[in-house]
Amino acid sequence: MIDALVSLGHGFGVALTPMNLLFIFIGVCLGQLIGALPGLGPSAGMALLLPVTFGIPPATAIMMLAGIMYGGMYGGTLTSVLVNVPGEAASVMTAVDGHKLAKQGRAGAALSVSAIGSFIAGVGAVTALVFVTPPLAEFALKFSSPEFFLLATLGITATASIGAGSPLKAIMTAIFGLMIALVGTDPILGTARLTFGTTELLDGIDFLPVAIGIFGIAEVLSSLEQSYDSEPIKTRLRDMWLSAADWAECRMAILRGGTLGFLIGLMPGAGPTVAAILAYVTEKRFSKHPERFGEGAIDGVAAAESANNSAAHGALIPMLALGIPGSASTAVLLAALVLQGIRPGPTLLVEQADLVWGLVASMFIGNVILLVLNLPLAPAFGALLRIPYEYLAPGILVISLVGTFATTLSLFSVGLTLFFGMVGYLMMKADLPRAPVVLAVVLAQLMETSLRQSLMLSEGTLWIFLERPLSIVLLLLVIGSLALPLLGLLTRHRTERRRRAEAKISIATE
Amino acid sequence: MKAADILSACVMLALSAVVFAATWGQPYWADFAPGSAFAPFWVASAGVVVSVALIVGALRRQSSPPAEWPDRRGLRRVALAAAGLWAVVVIAPALGLILAAVLFMLFLLLLVLRRPLVPSLITTAITGALVYSIFSAWLGIAFPKGIFGI
Repeated sequence: MIDALVSLGHGFGVALTPMNLLFIFIGVCLGQLIGALPGLGPSAGMALLLPVTFGIPPATAIMMLAGIMYGGMYGGTLTSVLVNVPGEAASVMTAVDGHKLAKQGRAGAALSVSAIGSFIAGVGAVTALVFVTPPLAEFALKFSSPEFFLLATLGITATASIGAGSPLKAIMTAIFGLMIALVGTDPILGTARLTFGTTELLDGIDFLPVAIGIFGIAEVLSSLEQSYDSEPIKTRLRDMWLSAADWAECRMAILRGGTLGFLIGLMPGAGPTVAAILAYVTEKRFSKHPERFGEGAIDGVAAAESANNSAAHGALIPMLALGIPGSASTAVLLAALVLQGIRPGPTLLVEQADLVWGLVASMFIGNVILLVLNLPLAPAFGALLRIPYEYLAPGILVISLVGTFATTLSLFSVGLTLFFGMVGYLMMKADLPRAPVVLAVVLAQLMETSLRQSLMLSEGTLWIFLERPLSIVLLLLVIGSLALPLLGLLTRHRTERRRRAEAKISIATE
Repeated sequence: MKAADILSACVMLALSAVVFAATWGQPYWADFAPGSAFAPFWVASAGVVVSVALIVGALRRQSSPPAEWPDRRGLRRVALAAAGLWAVVVIAPALGLILAAVLFMLFLLLLVLRRPLVPSLITTAITGALVYSIFSAWLGIAFPKGIFGI
């Protein structure tokens, strides 16, 4: 515990240099703007801005990208409350009650409680991260190839199981991601695979064209379908003060939402959106006035916003300690580490202590900056929402193309980005989740290499996955994550059948 | 959404077939370890199983919400934006990537999104300057330069 505090102190030394402070500020401001823009989430924004970070040192780049990630959680509130359009998916519950509050003339209170709740939950989650990450990373040093294979598999299956939407579709899109990652040169034998004679594909399909295409371009194309010339509700600085009654109503909601969000953030695949929805539903059960939910409940807003920010920070723990991203945003952050030449995994904390502890300290600083930006400056950011989105969309598309070229110096990669952009757009229309594709692309190499290494060690027998207690636990978790949606499906079918049978009986007796 | 589910499952079936076919000649098991076709075989097999399950589920489902496709105007905007993006890749070697990107922005703002001339020109100028200063001047990226040398 003392070691963690000493390391954190060292991390503050790294984060408080003028250059790092500047890039933390730029990161959180960009995150705030990206979160506020409808149709562009933090993961898309991070992927788009990844090429820009090549000119700066790795620790600074990661601090800036992480700033975009949690800054997006704060920014999403603005559009949800003032326009009734969630700036990003995790703010969907905020839009329900936040906009109702704004219509009642309480936009300032909704924004204020969101900022304070996000700040308290964010700082709480980073504090927990300080103490949870080092022992987890130390424990993970005991992992060998079977455990890494099972852990990477769990990262994918849990995304399908816990994430919102159809688990079957999520598994299907994860398989699509694995297929993308198979293209290139076999990592063990070195033979060409699925390249169809194209030399450009021998190095495989990079993560960046997939992420920029599937998140960035697809989301911009989708948002071009309609105009967003909206008139946001105005709010003033003096409206931002919370009354004692508001604070009394919200403080427990912030605590509950923050704790729940952190725990959900730890689980692979769940992420801030699931955290916000669950925290909102939980708060409705605890509330003295559940009838207000959906009509402008300030405690509902507080719970959802605290949970999404806390989950965004909590999701960093498996990424930093194990090298396994639990969400699309942490997948982009992990890819950024790889692109900067850093090997993620349990040894990261030892090999890159400056980077990890600098990042952790930067999140304390970033949350303070965001609190300042979102309390006195919220009306100013609100005014930015008056700029029609149509002026921003072409710029985002151009930065996507130029950024991809800057990373790979190849027009072929730019073409691939566009291809994945079109695929991502069609996936949005077919209601197919896109995050599993990106997660699978990131985790595929670890999965394949560790599986093949395990089978090499065991001379082909699968018993190697049952030899150590740790791998048995992980295997059970993988099986459980696959069985969970199946059980849910069976229960739903049974309930539906019973309802139909009851309906038939009631018709017969009438 | 039923049709979309069936269609996406069929696409996955086709992709699985391509993976099977393209790695058919490669070894599933080498002398001492899994070969190059090992992972593709299992990934494609999982693709087939999940696609079939999705098709069966979609066919058995009695009601399903309709897919949210854009209206005609929205579809036109998306199609033209996509065509413009592909045009950038095609004309970049001839005109240069930065110039092609600037032309794309003007095309999108003025012709597709029908925005007023002056704000569109200002937006394009700001974006062009931003892209040039970050990627060319700061990061030193050598973009394809076309006949105009830009």
